[in-house]
Amino acid sequence: MAWYDDDSWVTKALGPNISTIIIVTLIAFALPLLVHSYLYRARTFATLPTFLLLGPSGAGKTSLLCLFDNGKPSETRISQTPLSATITLPSNATARSSKYRSENDPSMKKNRQFQLVDIPGHGKLRHFTLEHITKLQNLKGIIFLVDTADLSTGSGAQSDNGLLEAAEYLHDVLLVLQKRYTSAKTSKGPKEIPFLIAGNKQDLFTALPTPLVKAALEAEISKVRETKSKGLLDSGIGMGEDAVEEEREWLGDGGEGKFQFKQMEEVNVPIEVICGNVLGDGTNGVEKWWQWIGDQM
Amino acid sequence: MIDTFEILSTSGVVLWSKNYIPVGNNVVNSLIREVFIEEKVAPGTNAGEDSDTRKPSYKKEGYTLKWTAAKDLGLIFVAVYQSLVHLTWIDKLLDNVRALFTELYKDELKKPRTSAQMFPFDDYFDRQIHELEPHADATAPKIFEPTPSVDLTPPSSSGTDREGDEPPPMPGLRKAPQKPVYSDNTSTDATPVPTPDTSRPSSPAVSQLLTAKAGPAAKLSRRGRKKANISSAPVSSGDESPARLKAVKKGPTKKSMRRWDDNGMADEDDGTVLDYSAASLDDEAAGTPMEEVDHSTWGKRTGKGEFVLKDLDDEMDSILAAANSKKATSEQTGGIVGSSLGVIGGLFRNVVGGKTLTKEDIAKSMKGMEDHLLKKNVAREAAVRLCESVERELIGMKTASFTSVETTINSAMESALSKILTPATSLDLLRQIQSVTSPSALSLQKPRPYVISIVGVNGVGKSTNLSKLCFFLLQNKYRVLVAAADTFRSGAVEQLKVHVRNLRELSKREGGEVDIYEKGYGKDAANIAQDAVKHATENGFDVVLIDTAGRRHNDARLMSSLEKFAKLANPDKIFMVGEALVGTDSVQQARHFNAAFGAGRSLDGFIISKCDTVGDMVGTLVSMVHATGIPVVFLGTGQHYSDLRTLNVKWAVRLLMS
Repeated sequence: MAWYDDDSWVTKALGPNISTIIIVTLIAFALPLLVHSYLYRARTFATLPTFLLLGPSGAGKTSLLCLFDNGKPSETRISQTPLSATITLPSNATARSSKYRSENDPSMKKNRQFQLVDIPGHGKLRHFTLEHITKLQNLKGIIFLVDTADLSTGSGAQSDNGLLEAAEYLHDVLLVLQKRYTSAKTSKGPKEIPFLIAGNKQDLFTALPTPLVKAALEAEISKVRETKSKGLLDSGIGMGEDAVEEEREWLGDGGEGKFQFKQMEEVNVPIEVICGNVLGDGTNGVEKWWQWIGDQM
Repeated sequence: MIDTFEILSTSGVVLWSKNYIPVGNNVVNSLIREVFIEEKVAPGTNAGEDSDTRKPSYKKEGYTLKWTAAKDLGLIFVAVYQSLVHLTWIDKLLDNVRALFTELYKDELKKPRTSAQMFPFDDYFDRQIHELEPHADATAPKIFEPTPSVDLTPPSSSGTDREGDEPPPMPGLRKAPQKPVYSDNTSTDATPVPTPDTSRPSSPAVSQLLTAKAGPAAKLSRRGRKKANISSAPVSSGDESPARLKAVKKGPTKKSMRRWDDNGMADEDDGTVLDYSAASLDDEAAGTPMEEVDHSTWGKRTGKGEFVLKDLDDEMDSILAAANSKKATSEQTGGIVGSSLGVIGGLFRNVVGGKTLTKEDIAKSMKGMEDHLLKKNVAREAAVRLCESVERELIGMKTASFTSVETTINSAMESALSKILTPATSLDLLRQIQSVTSPSALSLQKPRPYVISIVGVNGVGKSTNLSKLCFFLLQNKYRVLVAAADTFRSGAVEQLKVHVRNLRELSKREGGEVDIYEKGYGKDAANIAQDAVKHATENGFDVVLIDTAGRRHNDARLMSSLEKFAKLANPDKIFMVGEALVGTDSVQQARHFNAAFGAGRSLDGFIISKCDTVGDMVGTLVSMVHATGIPVVFLGTGQHYSDLRTLNVKWAVRLLMS
């Protein structure tokens, strides 16, 4: 039986048979529905606003995520993989986009949700994320958590390691964000990424107050920038193919003078420093962070 | 007794934990940091393939940690106990807990929000501990436990209370298809398989030995019979031993549904003995004393309030049994039809993606990858380890859409390479020098010179790299003192003098200042280094660079003097210079030098010289870091003073993968 015979399946499929008509009709009506449902589902998933949670290891990132998610922090260890959770804003913080929305608006609940991604802070696991920060869809802000009790410049060379580590990490992240701006192709520049430096562990006795946290970080970043500018070239330059485009770039005003967080506003990264505490008594510790997140949504 | 048992997710949340004695967070944290992230200790095989080999362990602060992982769910099970205590049943416990936990909470764990879950796992865990713990003290009494518990199962299991919290598992759950997370060879072996029958009857002497092994532990009731056994002639004991065997075997044959206790008596001896008796026994004479034993254990166990937990116990057993049998069946699947369909599907998936990787899928590509790394001058040891870690990561994973297996392996290898090369701590040398030579006013520290010493094998370029480093420091306007502690090789001091003279000329207008400290030949290097540091402190130098004599890394005599050197000179940084040209030997070099400075001191970084001579074969970088976990700080890339570079991880990875 060849394919061109009267009763071959090809002839049947192309002929005016009742079964063919039924099948074709079914496909014709069902396909758009399926495509629609597929696309619709994929879309709603993607548009949830995303916040990144960065910071050096031991700052309390995973604790904070658990606190936001469950209402109470759970015990944590060093993270090895990112953790993301869909979190709903509490009732006392409102998203900026729904400021004028009625309390009873059914879409209110949906607008209160956001995705929080916790990135492991260990030195070896960071650089993967640094490359991906700018590629995230619908990134609404970055929260950089630091341990304020570990920032004091005081006693001994060993103890300012915390500050140094935080400052270097912060420097690298900010540099990536700045590069995103300076290497943008359009004249308008990429959209704003608000940046929150959240000082954690304010419940501890040795914690620095907010203005000091800011000052210490700014001073330390200046130092990091200074030694980086004096440091050796790295092996990638002059040896790789993309040597030309990888020009060295300095954070802030061309790397001159003292670094200030204000300088980052030029590259569409407004920075705020707010302190609080994840652990410890009361829920006041994270209230302001909630508010900040709400303001960015 | 174990101190703490924790179930963590890889994202860092403690999902469940049990503290008998509180153990500091830092113990588990350092396990994660050093084993999982920095891979200083080889993590070993932690998938469930071979439970014959013992679980890897890690020691910290007097504790021993053992762990196992459920890769696909991202779980780590860690048991912490005092190193002084030797616990043999921890492996078993880890395996069982992993099987139970993954079965019970499979659905919750698959959800992304694991942080919200509370797991009522305490009862199960207590039961596990309870079952396993006496097993360590005495092996044989454990054998008798099954008998009473099976007898008692029907009345107790039906309607007793459930301990408050309803555990989630349903019958449906157990049947649901699941990857064989749990696989335990010993327990599958322990299910009654009549293979040894043929061999056993022919050798009564062997069976005699075996029973003697099982015997001593069954203390009280056995004692009389044991005496008789000893006094009786071998011929007569041939009669008796089967009888005893029968008693021993009684439990396992009766209880077909209770797989769990089979697990408990994991040793193969028991299994073989049991099988033997199953074939040959019909002598009931010795049965009665054993009945008494049964009753005594029965009474004791009821006294402990075992019945309350009985239903939980059964449930647990069935889960473990299901996990076992699932593993057994999964091994058998795949006839001709199945395999050919699988091949076609596999080919299709290879193009489209979404293929679940198995060891066979990636074996060929992994071999190619290994060869590729070897071609790049990576030492075999390091290449094998990298491939293993990639393999561990990939097995059980699904490839992304429109990604072939090769691409997946490539990207996994890339991330493994950059992970191994990325330093864990900051390598900003200038910043560290700054904090030592001009400490902040608050820190109450006196400024002192920053001491860097350089070690290495002969002829790798220690002096050359030292002068490059010196040039770099001079450009940053430091006052540098070069100490010639190579008092062995003729011309070494003169060589340094020439370097210092050149550098002095070069840095005249830059503002740096350099001097040499030398005491000629033949003196003890450690003393010269110490004097040099003293001299630098008195004369206000910022940095002391100490050159040492080159030494063969496997010459114990020369290497031993390094320990004294480290003690007297007490350098802030000890850098080892290694050639990029060297091949497999690099691993040994790095290891020996790293160990040479005595306890509590190790290398701080590598300087890899002659990188310009090897093209893209920069495998030595990986080998050295692999051997020690110590980062590469500088690369020597040419003949000029300015040819010193820091390592760019992306660049190195690109060269290695090209």
